[in-house]
Amino acid sequence: MPLIDIKNLSYAYREEEGEPISVLKGIDLSINEGEYVVILGHNGSGKSTLAKLMNMVVDDYEFAQGQILVDGIDVLSEEITDDDVLNLRKTVGMVFQNPDNQLVATIVEEDVAFGPENLGIPHPELRERVDRALETVGMSRYAHHEPHRLSGGQKQRVAIAGIIAMMPRVMIFDESTAMLDPIGRREVIETLEMLNREKGITVISITHYMDEAARADRVIVLDDGKILLDGTPAEVFAHKEKLRAAGLELPQCTALCYELMAKGLKLEGPFNTPEQCAEALTRAYRRREG
Amino acid sequence: MSKKKKLMAETELASAEIIHPAEDPKLRLLNVSYIYSKGTPFEMKALDSVSLDIHRGKLTGIIGHTGSGKSTMVQLFNGLTTPTSGKVLLDGEDIWAKPKEIGKIRFRVGLVMQYPEYQLFEETVSADIAFGPKNMGLSGEEIIERVNEAASFVGLPQNLMDQSPFDLSGGQKRRVAIAGIMAMRPEVLVLDEPAAGLDPQGRRAIFSGIKRYNRETGCTVIIVSHSMEDMAEFCDDVVVMAHSKVLMAGSRDEIFSHAEKLEEVGLDIPQITRLALMLEKEGITFPESLYTVGYATEAFAALFDLGEGGGV
Repeated sequence: MPLIDIKNLSYAYREEEGEPISVLKGIDLSINEGEYVVILGHNGSGKSTLAKLMNMVVDDYEFAQGQILVDGIDVLSEEITDDDVLNLRKTVGMVFQNPDNQLVATIVEEDVAFGPENLGIPHPELRERVDRALETVGMSRYAHHEPHRLSGGQKQRVAIAGIIAMMPRVMIFDESTAMLDPIGRREVIETLEMLNREKGITVISITHYMDEAARADRVIVLDDGKILLDGTPAEVFAHKEKLRAAGLELPQCTALCYELMAKGLKLEGPFNTPEQCAEALTRAYRRREG
Repeated sequence: MSKKKKLMAETELASAEIIHPAEDPKLRLLNVSYIYSKGTPFEMKALDSVSLDIHRGKLTGIIGHTGSGKSTMVQLFNGLTTPTSGKVLLDGEDIWAKPKEIGKIRFRVGLVMQYPEYQLFEETVSADIAFGPKNMGLSGEEIIERVNEAASFVGLPQNLMDQSPFDLSGGQKRRVAIAGIMAMRPEVLVLDEPAAGLDPQGRRAIFSGIKRYNRETGCTVIIVSHSMEDMAEFCDDVVVMAHSKVLMAGSRDEIFSHAEKLEEVGLDIPQITRLALMLEKEGITFPESLYTVGYATEAFAALFDLGEGGGV
């Protein structure tokens, strides 16, 4: 059974007056435990709404239709109980875009303890979880620091530690690198990849950085509230025109390789990362020399 | 000014070695230092005797890590912060010569801060864009002209002009905020991370609009950004900040020919440039440094003797 199973999901919201505005239009999507999935889409494509629905953090369910099964529990069911919601929050953790909006305490380790404490984790275990979470994101050294003095990337890693301490099976990153500088971005991406590869946590990362998508197992492209593409990075990147129409652009090196092939150069893929492109181009060069 | 003071000022001028000097710079920093929280345990030097020229009419990109001093620098350009020491010259004149008239400088050097969409407040898009020109005391006709012109630079369609800015998408709000500063037609337009958080096409639209503003009005434009790829594509000149100093400054060709140095200080060089460095290690070299897909396609087409559009 997939960990997250979304069936024919539609969602709309209503401004104070006027017709409801449709955001998601019939989404079918299954995500298995252990997957590393990137969801791409331009601003307004519905990707953030989709993520928030998986964790029940949207404000209004009046126009939500379909099913979102998380570990077998239907998030949209009318019979959902408080216990179910609590379980859902234990299963799915979410990291948002702005690190400054996610930190609540004045000391780093207290901030990390906030989530698990509210789940009722008793004392010796709470301590262990906080220490382990900070160690996982490489922030143990800052346990007694004030969060507002940290860099953006460090703040975001503290926010991630706060989620890890709740030991979720799925972590959703909602444009968690968008406000960071390149170093902060790298820190967060390395952390989320480590959580997936070493800790087995299912990662769903929402972004519009194409180079982040290149590193995932699976890439899903949303456009106008629908799934436009779903596949490995190589499969998705092959649809250059569709991506462009959806407001996205290929990573530079990938675009270069496709341009050269269109001009008649024979290249063997994959072309997801600069390393792969360099390899393909070197091979073509040697073949020509050789 | 006392004789002694004047002499000191001249000595200061003489000793400053200006980076990327221009004959007639639009902006010049002379030995500028800025220290935060001076005299407290949190004292920090954000800028350390920087002397730099910003060339007239050019589109200059400023890059560097968080904390490298770049945001401090742009706030010094329009007198939002006062240098702890040193001088900021606009058209050769010290902007702090008459501190009471610093407000005038802010009309001449317009600053678009990060996430400017949070600063919208008027009832309609056009009223919001008109706010600046109105405060400058322009006539009604001039204001309308300025508003329409600025809206067209950033690509805001006419049918949005009477809507509330709060009903727009994030990317559209950003454009309204940028248009509001453009409408004041500052001699220098400074933008701090104008495309942060936007999707690839939103970024491209904003940068293209800014470039068009620069080319069509001839106004000097300065952009602060983390994105080397955007810098490589849109800027004429690039200033690289590191550790409160200017690491290097020059035309974008000059800067990107030092790609390895950029990598050393941990900056993200464009993917294409990284690819070129990797190929160089394999013995595949190019006559010029590569930093955009367009250039690279031409260079590789020449290398592989591919037909149309292929090099020479």
